[in-house]
Amino acid sequence: MSRHADDLPEQLGLLRDAVAARNLTRGVLTGQESPPFVALAREAERIKGAGSRWNVRPLRELFDDARRLHDESGRTGADSWLAPRLHYTLRLTRAEAADPALWNYIALVVAPDYVVWRHLPKTARDGKRPAVTADRFCGPHYKQAFARLWWAAELFRDGDDYRPAVAACRNQDVLNTVLRLDVIDHRPTARAVTRMLEDGIVRTGREVNALATAINAAASTLMYEVLASDEGPDAEAFRYWMDELDMAPPAPRKTLPAGPGDGAIPEGAVDVMATYFEKLFAEAPVRGKEPKDAEEVPIDV
Amino acid sequence: MGNERGEGFGIWLARQLRRQDMTQAELAAALGITRAGVSAWITGRAEPREDKKRAIAEILGTDEATVHLRTVDAPAARPIAWYHRPAHADGGREFGNAAAFAFDADLAVLAREATQNSLDERHDDDHPVRVRYVLHELSGEHLRSFLDALAWEDLLPHYEVAAAQKQKVGGVIAEGLRDLRETDTLLLLRIDDFNASGLTGPEYGDGRFAAVVRRQLDSHKTSGHAGGSYGLGKATLWATSRLGLVLINSTLSTPHEGRRERRVIGRLDLPWREVDGQAYAGPAWLGEEDTDPEFKGVSRSWWADERTTERLHLSRVGSDPGTSFLVVGAHDAAGDAGTVQEMHDKIVRSLAENFWAAMTHGEATAPIMEASVTTLRNGQVLIKEERVDPHAHEPARCRALKAYLDGGTVDHLAGPEQVALAHVPLTVPPLRGDKGPGVDHRAVLLVTPADDADTKPNHLVCMRGNRMTVSVRRVPDLPMGTNPFQAVLLAGHATGARTEDADLAEAFLRASEPPEHDDWNRTEELAARYARGALSRIRDFRREMNTVVRHLVARREQKTGGGPAVLRELLRLDGGGTSAGRRIDSHPTVRNVDGELDSSGAWRVRVEVKLPPRDDAWVMMPVAKFDVRSGSKPSVRWAELVAGENCHVENGHLRFDARMSTASFSGVTDVASHPVPAEMARLVIDLQKARSGAA
Amino acid sequence: MKTLMPYATLAGEVTFKVAAAKLDGRDLPLSMLSQQERVVALHQVERQKWDEARLDLRVRIPEAELAEGPWSDVVCVAVLTEGVSNLRTVTRLNRSADGTWVGSPTLARDACRTRAELSVSVVATVDGVPGRIIGGSEENWLVDVLARKPVRQRELHINEVDFGENQKPYEWLHAFKDAPWLVETSGDMPTVHLNTGFEGITELLGSGGSTMEKAVRGLIAAQIATEAWTAMFHSAVSDIEVAEDGSLEWPSGWRDWVLRAMLPDVLPDLSPADALSEIHSRRVETSGWNELQPRIQYAASRRARVAKNLGTAIRELDRSDEGDQ
Repeated sequence: MSRHADDLPEQLGLLRDAVAARNLTRGVLTGQESPPFVALAREAERIKGAGSRWNVRPLRELFDDARRLHDESGRTGADSWLAPRLHYTLRLTRAEAADPALWNYIALVVAPDYVVWRHLPKTARDGKRPAVTADRFCGPHYKQAFARLWWAAELFRDGDDYRPAVAACRNQDVLNTVLRLDVIDHRPTARAVTRMLEDGIVRTGREVNALATAINAAASTLMYEVLASDEGPDAEAFRYWMDELDMAPPAPRKTLPAGPGDGAIPEGAVDVMATYFEKLFAEAPVRGKEPKDAEEVPIDV
Repeated sequence: MGNERGEGFGIWLARQLRRQDMTQAELAAALGITRAGVSAWITGRAEPREDKKRAIAEILGTDEATVHLRTVDAPAARPIAWYHRPAHADGGREFGNAAAFAFDADLAVLAREATQNSLDERHDDDHPVRVRYVLHELSGEHLRSFLDALAWEDLLPHYEVAAAQKQKVGGVIAEGLRDLRETDTLLLLRIDDFNASGLTGPEYGDGRFAAVVRRQLDSHKTSGHAGGSYGLGKATLWATSRLGLVLINSTLSTPHEGRRERRVIGRLDLPWREVDGQAYAGPAWLGEEDTDPEFKGVSRSWWADERTTERLHLSRVGSDPGTSFLVVGAHDAAGDAGTVQEMHDKIVRSLAENFWAAMTHGEATAPIMEASVTTLRNGQVLIKEERVDPHAHEPARCRALKAYLDGGTVDHLAGPEQVALAHVPLTVPPLRGDKGPGVDHRAVLLVTPADDADTKPNHLVCMRGNRMTVSVRRVPDLPMGTNPFQAVLLAGHATGARTEDADLAEAFLRASEPPEHDDWNRTEELAARYARGALSRIRDFRREMNTVVRHLVARREQKTGGGPAVLRELLRLDGGGTSAGRRIDSHPTVRNVDGELDSSGAWRVRVEVKLPPRDDAWVMMPVAKFDVRSGSKPSVRWAELVAGENCHVENGHLRFDARMSTASFSGVTDVASHPVPAEMARLVIDLQKARSGAA
Repeated sequence: MKTLMPYATLAGEVTFKVAAAKLDGRDLPLSMLSQQERVVALHQVERQKWDEARLDLRVRIPEAELAEGPWSDVVCVAVLTEGVSNLRTVTRLNRSADGTWVGSPTLARDACRTRAELSVSVVATVDGVPGRIIGGSEENWLVDVLARKPVRQRELHINEVDFGENQKPYEWLHAFKDAPWLVETSGDMPTVHLNTGFEGITELLGSGGSTMEKAVRGLIAAQIATEAWTAMFHSAVSDIEVAEDGSLEWPSGWRDWVLRAMLPDVLPDLSPADALSEIHSRRVETSGWNELQPRIQYAASRRARVAKNLGTAIRELDRSDEGDQ
């Protein structure tokens, strides 16, 4: 099922949701069959102004390496390895990364085998064949197999330093819960969370979820941007980094690459948020530690 | 006045003789000369020697200087008094001045008409005409002193008779007298203009003075200046007085009888009446009885001294030409301005609305006029002088005009303060009988985004002349979604041009205005003076100005795409603007929540529930959640639930009684289940269907 | 559903408008702003490429109330957000002499995919707690980087294309070349593909024609719309998400709107939240799902105004019969 890089199209394309959804058959989701590459390649749209940024080969090699390096140690570990290197290799503006058609193309045309390897459940309910959920191929940015890693690297990095993103991706609950919250679009907030992970203040999935809920709820009354202001990344520096792709070496396998030098997050702002969150977290109940479990599971409105 | 020269000796002498009731023969006898000699002086063929002038001075009871300078009359002044015109010999009766009562006594109308007159009479075109409105409320001693100066005691019998009459004017006067008696106050409204012509010209005949004071029904605004610009509008002055009484003091731009300052007269308009057995026609004048035999029984203006103008509240500041009108017993019959503050505001508003254009000026240009309003009470300032600021009242229109005057317009609107300029062509047809293709004039059209507070956007103001408003109309056929705007059209002289085409356009447009000057359309004058096709030129012009406005405010046209309209309508996500799908709730809903945090950090809430009518009880689960920035809201548990009205608590659920429309309960949240301290988040309260097995 | 605040917030309204905009320092024509729809359209034919849009904001907040309330360190901020691109920029505004707050939030073209929402929040210190949100705008603006006209998109896409032509990117429609239309519900906005290759369909759905033609046109449009609404409803239901704690989340965008509009017709006796839960459980547990289909059909036909369009057509048919006799 693994495909040779030589058989692949040279450049990335765009695959609209409708086309992707139509081709996500049960066979594709269970890994028993491959998506129809030729038909998909024909239906894909070209990316305007194509250039080396859209080369498929470096990506495919990256996925192959991720799989090779983590086949034995455990596939969840591949996330924190792949996220920074994917972000380094696939240099996109946020506007480009927000287009699901690009991620559909990567998942269905470039590396469907990787999606299945990474996300196929070991067992399935009611005796059916285990299958990957469709949103790993075609889904929102916090679900789609590659989009979630790229966005995790983008939202958790500290300027050119990918280490906070690595810390974030080591915890599946950060990827599953925190990544989807609007509050982390504020860089000092995102960095405060990863710092608490690095410092071991939050460790377990339940702790991460409790922290996430506390931060999210407090954000209904607090404007974090006013408490800890951040000028935001330097758009020109980011542009420069994108344009520099041809000069840059391939992502190193053993060491972390350097991300875009678009400005570190102000230390003081991170301190403010971290202090705040530590206090909130200390007061937050963590599920499992509570005296009794919630009885009801009401619906969100 | 400086070294101003007096009148010609003859004219002066003739008047002095009339004033003294002395004939030429009597003077000749007193001087010991022939009557023919006196006649030669009076007709201007000769002037007396110095010794004769000395003798004349002695006879007239004055000094030599007066005879030399002839800037004043000899002191044997005739008494100033009210002269009531006797009734027509034919017995015809008029009940009230028709012109005065054609207008409603509306202060807004008065301000408009009186100020337009001032504007039309601007004296020095390089400087603004200044208009000043003063409301002055008199009572007590101040009132008494004014009425004395007015010879009120002489007027009162006439008023009482007039007030007893049943006609409209009788009612108004009765109301005015009663008010004066009961409240012991009288409101004066003074309208001063400066840098205006003043009431020039002879006592009778052609001239501004006569047009205002004599010919009440004269609506003819001649295009020259012989009759001045005082049209029908002057009648609003008398209409605004409950007593039909207006006093006038004018400083003339060109001398009359060798004098310029303090030409004073009062005019009273009453209906036909009989007082002490004598019948009177209607009008009465406060002045000197005319010595001219032709005008016996009429009183004429006099050159008052400063003390008199002071007492009559007619003193003018400085010697700039212009006129002061004092409306005695001013009121606002429109009824929306009762207090002096309201009247003050109404005048300010009317001046701003009608003359914002004349008051607007560019960086390097002066306005055409300036206006202010002041209110006094017994000589003390009640509301200090308020300079009318056009920008405060008509921000968008003033901005448009100012941008034009400063040359700061653009071709396309790109900012909220920008003003777009385009031209509207007007072809002025030749006069009837003339040959030729007509002359092209380019009117100026200005468009700017409307102000936020603008309640009447999307209007086009048309102006000509000294930026006088001819019409204000909503622009028709605007496409949906047009951003609110204001538009101003300047035509003829209003463009600021004094070119031939502007002169012609000005005359042409004036000819197309009805007497009210509020439209450009078919008129008799237009048909009579211009060649065929004139009306279509006007119509083309009107159509074209709307087209240009629509063009300036239009969005750039795009192909809408988006498929057939019939289908688009059915696929609208907002239900096509209709309320389709909005149903009355058929499930219990939270109507109101009250609550606070207690000392343990728990929310204590009291909830009111609205129930739809139903024969069965409702079993619902009360839900409390903490709000979040995004995603799902975490629920918190109840530590305590207490039933209120029409409600029972059963296993953590609420049972609401059947056939009730409201219910209530209260609850306390469980602090241990709070994902953050309660003071850090918003609390959301809702009701959900109780799920079987949940309890 | 009612909300309680744990501290004092503003009762008065916070309103604002985008008075003007600049693209890379050049004025955007005012026609690209709609004050009524509260939309800024940033795509101009003349300027394909731009880097940064700068919006000129005017905000009114209840000044008098603020002056008397328990708030200090009051700050007014503009917030630009877009979910898919994780855009969130917060710009401090400045108070001008006349009490309005003004400022110029910027939007980088690279940071936004299609449309960002622009809102205003008032932030202050309350009871010693800094950074509290004490008020915000309710009527927000949209900043659309792709639109050429400042309108809120409220309609589905209607794509007129010849299915038979094998035209990129619609090759997949080739398989349906004998279908007059096809409804596609994935993506940002559902699309109705109209097959212009189907003879007569363009003319039938176009404008003009006899009253009879108009009646038929209404009928066909209602038919297409019913299918579209039904498909949209199913798509929206399948997008209901179960959160970590087992609670359900409303889908986003048009799906949220479709559910909120149609659920009261599908399950009239339930509150929106309960209806969402009911429909989700019926779908995943496969019991009661089939029974719901007629109700979904009914809700869709209401949206498509089938009753009205069919009634008109029948009346028209009656009338033409009379004419024949």
